[in-house]
Amino acid sequence: MLRKLVIDPVTRVEGHGKVTIHLDDDNHVKDAFFHIVEFRGFERFIQGHPYWEAPVMVQRLCGICPVSHHLAAAKAIDQIVGIDPEDLSVPAGKIRRLLHFGQVFQSHALHFFYLASPDLLFGFDSDPLKRNVVGVAAEYPEMAKKGILMRKFGQEIIKLITGKKIHGIAATPGGVHKHISAREISYFLDGKEIPTIDTMIEWTLETLEFIKAYFESNRGFLDSFAAYPSGHLGLVNKKNGYLELYDGFLRATDSEGTRTLNDVQNVEYADYFYERVERWTYLKFPYLKHLGREKGWNRVGPLARINICDGIETPLAENERKIFKNATGGKTNNMTMHTHWARLIEALYCAEMMRNLLNDSDLLSSDLLRKGERRNRGVGIIEAPRGTLIHEYEVDDKDRITRCNLIVSTTHNNEPMNQAVRWVANHVMDGKPEITEGMFNQVEVAIRAYDPCLSCATHAMGQMPLEISLYDSAGELIETRQR
Amino acid sequence: MSETIRIKIDGKDITTFSGRNLVDVAKENGIFIPTLCYFRDIHPLGTCRICTVKLNGRHTTGCTTKVADGMEFEINTPELLDNRKAIIEMLYAEGNHFCPSCEKSGKCDMQNLGYDMGITVTRYPHVFSNKIVDFNPKRMIMETNRCILCRRCVEEVKTVDGNDVFSFVNRGVKTVVKIDYEQEAKLTESEAMRAMNLCPVGAILVKGMIHKEPFGEAKYDLLGKAVKPKSNGKALKRDDGGKFIIATTSLAGCFGCHMSILDADTELLDMLEIVEFNKSPLTDIKNFSKRCHIGLVEGGCSNSENVHILREFRKRCDILISLGECAIMGGIPAMRNFVPLQECLEEAYLNSPTTELGANIIPAHEDIPKMLNNVYPCNEIVKIDHYIPGCPPSAQHIWKVVKSLLLGEEFSIAHDEFKYD
Ligand code: SF4
Ligand code: SF4
Ligand code: FES
Repeated sequence: MLRKLVIDPVTRVEGHGKVTIHLDDDNHVKDAFFHIVEFRGFERFIQGHPYWEAPVMVQRLCGICPVSHHLAAAKAIDQIVGIDPEDLSVPAGKIRRLLHFGQVFQSHALHFFYLASPDLLFGFDSDPLKRNVVGVAAEYPEMAKKGILMRKFGQEIIKLITGKKIHGIAATPGGVHKHISAREISYFLDGKEIPTIDTMIEWTLETLEFIKAYFESNRGFLDSFAAYPSGHLGLVNKKNGYLELYDGFLRATDSEGTRTLNDVQNVEYADYFYERVERWTYLKFPYLKHLGREKGWNRVGPLARINICDGIETPLAENERKIFKNATGGKTNNMTMHTHWARLIEALYCAEMMRNLLNDSDLLSSDLLRKGERRNRGVGIIEAPRGTLIHEYEVDDKDRITRCNLIVSTTHNNEPMNQAVRWVANHVMDGKPEITEGMFNQVEVAIRAYDPCLSCATHAMGQMPLEISLYDSAGELIETRQR
Repeated sequence: MSETIRIKIDGKDITTFSGRNLVDVAKENGIFIPTLCYFRDIHPLGTCRICTVKLNGRHTTGCTTKVADGMEFEINTPELLDNRKAIIEMLYAEGNHFCPSCEKSGKCDMQNLGYDMGITVTRYPHVFSNKIVDFNPKRMIMETNRCILCRRCVEEVKTVDGNDVFSFVNRGVKTVVKIDYEQEAKLTESEAMRAMNLCPVGAILVKGMIHKEPFGEAKYDLLGKAVKPKSNGKALKRDDGGKFIIATTSLAGCFGCHMSILDADTELLDMLEIVEFNKSPLTDIKNFSKRCHIGLVEGGCSNSENVHILREFRKRCDILISLGECAIMGGIPAMRNFVPLQECLEEAYLNSPTTELGANIIPAHEDIPKMLNNVYPCNEIVKIDHYIPGCPPSAQHIWKVVKSLLLGEEFSIAHDEFKYD
């Protein structure tokens, strides 16, 4: 008789996720699935809208990284008015980048302090009533306060450029529409109202020291937990192959570091990817066509990006990247939990880049818009905090959107997260006479490492609440447990 | 020259000249009558009825009324104020007035009246009627779903040789504004801009004129008044002097509203002194472990699970608050209401450019919930006590409302905090 363990809700992209684990009579795991239980339909309902509404509408896919959606759509829409990323005016390009660094910085701070830190600080098996951001605030008030102020810094950068902390508008076709003043910039530099960008760098370094020490003392466990070989996908700088978050070539490697996608142009993405649909989840499974469904899936996000890049252009982050690389003897890192570490290295990179840009006089220029020759298709690819984000639009001659394709970061991570769930089921739950609350939390811990954007919802706010139901093979409920 | 006359407005004696327009006379005497179709320099159209007043006890439109000696007007009675509010709500419920994606946001007369009247929700269900958006004109786009049929464009926009550019076609509920393509093509760029600015909503758009003003710098961002919602003046009771209990959930939303709750930043730490979170993504509490003082709901209902959770919130929370556009009117997710669900599914799973060759699967399984035919605002499913509009509402706005409800304090919302976008 098969039994089914249900974890519901786990998390969500525009909705909730759910895990089911199927056990046989001896409590051996037969199968495990990560289901995404909601569907939105943007691809269809955006058709018939004027193209310039896209960057404003699609950012409502996600309230945690709306800027990434806004900018990915904007990059695609730029092409409709004939502008490729390198044709943007220098100030517009820099303003957009600053905006994106603010976004990634706040999202990474949010993930680390509000999400991951409760597990790390209190332990996977700690009291679920305490294991959340409120618990962190009560027991580690200094750390909580720094985390809050780091996120705030990123949000304030976003507000500077888009006018709002969430769902503002910065990009218009061919550039940006807001001119920035010296007074606005000094807010981030003079330390009068908020801690300065230098403080952000200092705090990020402090947090990195914390996590390195943590990894050092929990090595064996963290190295093996939910670790499995996978491909890695992301953007790299077009000139030097360095870490790139705003615009670059698509690069992928296998689990050993061999290139599987060699620096491909954004507009060609559709030649290389297929997406599989499964009946049991609303989320699709993208993979590289030439490698097939079994071998062609990739992780995206901080771990993948640090794996595939050839370096980082800011000195402090580059130094940390080298330390990270040394931990695996220079080899590709397939250890899921190390994503947390990689994420903080990226946060440091963002902070350093923000410092450079805030001190760049180009930001004050009012040369903000460009126009080129009208096209009918645009592809915008960006590295969102959670990974490679693809937006494609087709537009008719009357300015109406006729087609839209979106592959969001978490979609790429769908297979990796399913692998992670299966790993925990097989390694932690298999054959155990009793399934404990702590074991269920480990399923979450594994998924949480990806900071999935489906969790842009539940998950991102802290712990994923669980309800666990046991069903027999006839579908009868035999036991329900709750936290 | 017209003669001096005396009239009464809300009991106040006023001296003016006969034959003048009531809206203007009232304004000169510090009494505001909201208008929408009435526009300076155009003879009054009387199409929108926002300016409805009572003349000698009978309803009439203020903008078309010429004052005469002895007339007695009622203008700001609670009944009339509510009538006007109802008219604006009807307009909102009828069309695509989703402010965040509209170029006219911040410059829209109707949106601004909504702010002034403190409209948070419509008392009528949203219609989601799907009219044609006309992309054919040379310079313009006609977003018929936003048109409130005020007639301003029909009366006012002409070519140099005096030809009409806009006209009303069809009758009754089928009435729409049509553009004469040939005449429209003759308009200069600035004439087209004038038409766009003349339209009190975002129905007439000029191509390429896109989000010109940054947030906070549009016409009505700079004007406008603070909203003063009333408080019942009664603080909620805390159990045994402990903390207030709050639950939150995100249904068919994007989580932006929850992020906005967090944007209180360090003030959040102060809030935690008096507030405790129960069932919420902020905590690990999956099922209500206590009765809650306040439930904050983000997002509307797009599947059976959303409905189930919302009903549970209603049962377990004393006060239920709809947070953000998605919860109040369905928001962006409700844009799929214009299209059959099956078409949305097919586009995403079968027809996308990256779908596997020959794929024919649309997800459907016992382990994933069923989609509802439409996305529904929360108040169409359960009773909601308060609404905080915005996409998302600002952190100050959210916490001001929550704190004031808990502590029973009077509060007002600044103009720049009360927004639909
Ligand atoms: S298009 Fe605008 S101006 Fe013309 S009738 Fe409609 S709402 Fe009025
Ligand atoms: S109202 Fe706006 S911010 Fe809130 S959930 Fe909906 S789309 Fe997101
Ligand atoms: S303003 Fe008087 S009817 Fe429209």
